[in-house]
Amino acid sequence: MDSSPSADDFLSAGLASYGMEADEIELAVLGAIHQLFWPPILELLEMDLGDVEPERDLDLSRAP
Amino acid sequence: MTEVLDLPLREQAAAIAAGDADPAELLDAALARIEARNPAINAVVETFPERSREMLAAAPDGPLRGVPVVIKDEWPLPWRAQRFGAADVPGARFAPGESGPFRALRDAGAVIVGVGNMHELGASSTGNLSVYEAARNPWDTTRCPGGSSSGPAAAAAARLVAGAVGADGLGSVRFPAAYCGLTGLKPTFGRAAMDGHHMAPVTRTIVAGPLCADAADCRLLGSVMFGESLAAGEAKGLRIGVVRDVVSEDVTPEVREACEGAIEQLRAETGGEVREVELPDLDAATLAAVLLISEEGLSGVSPQRLNRLDPALSPLGRATLKYRMLLPAAATVQAARVRTLMRRRLAGLFEQVDVVAWPTVPAPAPPLDSPVVELPSGHLSADQANVRGAALANLTGIPSISVPVGLSAEGLPLALQLQAAWGRDELLLDAAEALEQANGRRWVEALPPLAAAQPTEA
Repeated sequence: MDSSPSADDFLSAGLASYGMEADEIELAVLGAIHQLFWPPILELLEMDLGDVEPERDLDLSRAP
Repeated sequence: MTEVLDLPLREQAAAIAAGDADPAELLDAALARIEARNPAINAVVETFPERSREMLAAAPDGPLRGVPVVIKDEWPLPWRAQRFGAADVPGARFAPGESGPFRALRDAGAVIVGVGNMHELGASSTGNLSVYEAARNPWDTTRCPGGSSSGPAAAAAARLVAGAVGADGLGSVRFPAAYCGLTGLKPTFGRAAMDGHHMAPVTRTIVAGPLCADAADCRLLGSVMFGESLAAGEAKGLRIGVVRDVVSEDVTPEVREACEGAIEQLRAETGGEVREVELPDLDAATLAAVLLISEEGLSGVSPQRLNRLDPALSPLGRATLKYRMLLPAAATVQAARVRTLMRRRLAGLFEQVDVVAWPTVPAPAPPLDSPVVELPSGHLSADQANVRGAALANLTGIPSISVPVGLSAEGLPLALQLQAAWGRDELLLDAAEALEQANGRRWVEALPPLAAAQPTEA
C-alpha cells in the first residue's frame, strides 16, 4: 500500500468520522504508520482462521 | 562502600544481612554514583533521598533488605505519580500511590533509590524519545539504550544499582537488556505483581520483569516480584529448538555468529540437543500482538480527548494514539484468533523442546539520532526489526529471557533470547545460568566503559 489517494482518504475520512483533528506533521506521521501497517492488516484479514475456535476463559498464564 | 555497590544484587543483600556492609552507606554510595554517572546516560529521572532513607529505616528483614534498586516510570510510588515517559497519557489517571511492584520491593526490604526513564508511552524498542529526554546506552552514549525500559536497563548496566524493575508489553524488558548487556526476564503473563499499573485491568500483554547483570540476580529480584521463590535447578539435557525464519536469519552476521555459538555452548553445557522446529506465521503473530496491545491502549480514550493532547507529546506519540482509534475491529478479532493459533502451536512445540532460541534483537544498539539497522534484507527501523523477535511471548503469555552472548566489533552487546512454556520461568533462569557457566561468565561480567571508569569516582 503506497501513500495513494485511497490511503489519504482512509485517514481523512477516519479522522473526520470521529471528529478528530490532526496537524500537518501528525498527518504525515499517520500516513507513514498507515503505509507500514495497512498492507499486513489486509493480509491478516485474509488469513483463513475459521478453524481456530477462540479459547474460552482465555488465561495467558497457562497453556491453552 | 563503592566496592559493595559493585557487587551483584545477591551479594549486596548477603553483605548487609551478614553485617559486613552498612545499608545507609550503601544508599549514600548509590546516590553519589547516580550523581556522578547519570548525567551521561539520563537513566534515572528522579531521586528522593529522604524517601529512600525512610524506606531503609522501615525496611523489614527481607531478602533485599537495604539494597538499592530502580523502578521504571510506569508505576506510581506513594510520593510520586508515574508519567509513562510522556507529557500526556490519555485514558490514564496518574496519582501517587502504592503498586504491586512497590509493595513487593518494600516488603522485601529493598530501597527504591530512583525512578528509571522510559520511552514515551512505552511505544518503542529504542528508548530514544521521552518526556525526560532520551536515556543513553552506557556502552556508547551515542547509542540507543533500548526501550521501553530504557532507564532501568541503563541504570543497571552503568552499575548505578545492581537491579531494576522494568515492564515488557512487546519486548520492553528484553530489548534494553540486549542493548545494554544485561539479563532481562519477561515473566509468564500474570506471574509478577502488576497492580497499580494504569493498564493492569485491561492488559493481557504487559508484565513486570527484572533487569540485572546475571540470571542469579534476576532470580532473586524475580522471586521478590513474583512473591514466590524461583528455585534454582539444573538445565540437564536441554532440548533447544531453533527456528529458521527471519527472527534467526535476517540478523547481522555477528549477531548470528554469537547466537549460534551460544546455542552450541548451551547444548554442550547441558548435555542437551538442538532441534530445528517449525513455527509458521510469526509475521502474523507479530502484527497480532501489536494490534492487541494497541487495542488495550485505547482503554478510556475518546476521540475528543485525542483532540486535547498536550502539545509536548511528540508528533509520533500523537499520531500513534490517533491511528489506534482507526484500527478496524475485524483486525483485532482476527488477531485474537492468531493468538489462539500460536498458543496451541507453542503448546505442541514445547512437548518437543524445552526452550526455543533466537537472537533477542537482530543488530546491536543503533544510534540515538538514527535508530535504523542494516540487515541482510536491507535497512529497517530498529522497531520494525526488533518486534519480530519479541512479540510472540507477549501475544501468547510464555516467559522469555534475554542473555548477553558477546560484543560486536564496535563494542556493543549482543544477546540471545530463550523462550519456554508457560510457568517455566525457572527453567529459563537455569538455562541462562548454564550458558553463563559455559562461557565463563564472560559476558555477564563485562562492564561498559562508563561502569569500568575510575572506581573512586562514585
